[in-house]
Amino acid sequence: MKSLTNSRRHFRRRKLTNAVMLVLCALATLAAILPLVWILAYVAQEGGRFLSVEFFTQLPTPVGVPGGGVLNAIVGSAMVVAIAIVIAVPISIVAAIYAAEHPNTPLGIALRFGTDVLSGIPSIVMGIFAYTIIVLPQKHFSALSGGIALAIIMTPIVLRSTEEMLKLVPRSLREGSLALGASEWKTMWQVLLPAALNGIVTGMMLGIARVAGEAAPMIFTAFGNPFLSADLDQPIATLPHTIYVYAISPYKDWHAKAWTTALVLIVLVLGLNIIARAFTAWQLKKMGWR
Amino acid sequence: MQFKWTLGIAALVSVALLASACATPTPGAQPTAAPKAGSIAINGAGATFPFPLYSRWFYDYAFVDTAAKFNYQSIGSGGGIAQITAKTVDFGASDAILTDAQYTAAKNIQMIPTVAGAIVPTYNLKADDGKVITATIKFPFTAIADIYLGKIKKWNDPILAQANPDLKLPNKDILVVRRSDGSGTTYAFTDYLSQVSPEWKDKVGTANSVKWPVEGIGGKGNEGVAANVAQNDGAIGYVELAYAKQNALAYGSVQNQAGEYATASVATVQAAMSDFGTNLGDKLALSIANAPSKTAWPLATYTYLLIYMDQTDCVKGKTVINFIKWAITDPAAEKSATALDYIPLPDAVRTQVVKKLGQVTCNGKPIQ
Repeated sequence: MKSLTNSRRHFRRRKLTNAVMLVLCALATLAAILPLVWILAYVAQEGGRFLSVEFFTQLPTPVGVPGGGVLNAIVGSAMVVAIAIVIAVPISIVAAIYAAEHPNTPLGIALRFGTDVLSGIPSIVMGIFAYTIIVLPQKHFSALSGGIALAIIMTPIVLRSTEEMLKLVPRSLREGSLALGASEWKTMWQVLLPAALNGIVTGMMLGIARVAGEAAPMIFTAFGNPFLSADLDQPIATLPHTIYVYAISPYKDWHAKAWTTALVLIVLVLGLNIIARAFTAWQLKKMGWR
Repeated sequence: MQFKWTLGIAALVSVALLASACATPTPGAQPTAAPKAGSIAINGAGATFPFPLYSRWFYDYAFVDTAAKFNYQSIGSGGGIAQITAKTVDFGASDAILTDAQYTAAKNIQMIPTVAGAIVPTYNLKADDGKVITATIKFPFTAIADIYLGKIKKWNDPILAQANPDLKLPNKDILVVRRSDGSGTTYAFTDYLSQVSPEWKDKVGTANSVKWPVEGIGGKGNEGVAANVAQNDGAIGYVELAYAKQNALAYGSVQNQAGEYATASVATVQAAMSDFGTNLGDKLALSIANAPSKTAWPLATYTYLLIYMDQTDCVKGKTVINFIKWAITDPAAEKSATALDYIPLPDAVRTQVVKKLGQVTCNGKPIQ
């Protein structure tokens, strides 16, 4: 009988511990989510005041001239990010396939080590690198140099996430495909990549979201431009750089515009995220994966 | 899982959109005619100090010469000098006067003064009753130098107390705020300190960035200094006048060389400029700190554009010169300058600048 009371007490203690830990976990979760909600709410509140259709359709105005928007920066950000995607994504995915297929070859190990080091380099260094290899020889700032700086930042992110996703595809899928007589190419293209597509797109979105918010590497590459430009060879405005310029000014209306520009940037990145996810879902359905 | 994610993001976006829909339209926001598409893109970079004015000027000038697209990025005076030396820009801008070494490195560069501005000592100080002192504190001749040298440590130091008998200055430590980055504003400020204090000249000197005798706290840009002053009780800093005014910071009057207490304004900076008059020399660069006349503001400085005396692109060269002529002579440009607390050049200096612009060549041939 003594052992029964003992075990009951023991049970009660375990229940109590469980409750305490559950509360602590819930608090930690809240603490992790709170900054995100807080930031979004704050940016929406501060930035919402200035938001109007004109903000998306007009060019910036100087201090004291009412109105004005960030059309140049929206177009510019889209351009430099597009350049970065065009350069970084194919390279990253092909390299990731190699790293996932041959993880223990010297090249595979070097690739993994190299991308880890690359992803740890501060983004401004990429800006200075692009400045040195492109802007200085060309003798002028350009959208292209900005896009290349962003591509270098984006590559390790997309590469590593693609590699991890490919590794997560069950071996049985791959073995089954090969056993049915599909070539390695077909297995990769029609079995492994579709199976990992969702994760690869997530990695791409992370990469895009990361580079779309980079201001530091833009200062000495894309440079900024108050006019609308679609010329790869000319300076171009970007949203994060515009936020930076407005935020460090002494003027209240420019501070307000910095918040609105931040809101535009967040909404655009989120919107792009949703489109990419919808596209992946549709693509997988079309392929018969879902 | 996938569906939930998409739903979550959709919810966030709709919240953001809702917030924007609820936002009231900005009063006075009317569609402004965008400058017409043109063909001459001109890129420049440099000082942050005149950036608000330059962005206004370039915006306005796009209506005067519809083909001209001036793109100016404020990356700091040091950056402006570096970029024009590397020839990555069509023009540069700096508040600091170029050193001989910089002139040699940049080859055939000309400094062109555009406007002058005032640097003010700004402070954030609560009196013993807890109220922020909004009144103008008077700084005797060497007081600012002594504060930055660490010789005056308290706000109720006898030197400050004697100059401000009406104010009850509290027994508080002075927190020195200075620039952390290389800055033309620091150049002009230390130029002034070197002129009023031999000790400062010996120990610290004049430069874009110096080894500060009192560590204090550093802020990046005029904005960073203004923010640090605004956040710290007992702080003193130096910023361009517009930054103090726009951030609603109190700023002091300073005893000038003639022994009078002057306040920063268009008139007092103009007095400082006229003290040094037409004597700008071939470099068109002149310190106007510590001016001798009674009404002069002692912490004044010119700000400069940097241009190539021999242009390589004649169309661009001509556009740059026409713009500078417009900026320093057109009444509309002058109005924009004074509205933003910058001080237009005196006529005598204008004449010199226009004369110098006439000597600019393109590939060795006269430009106009």
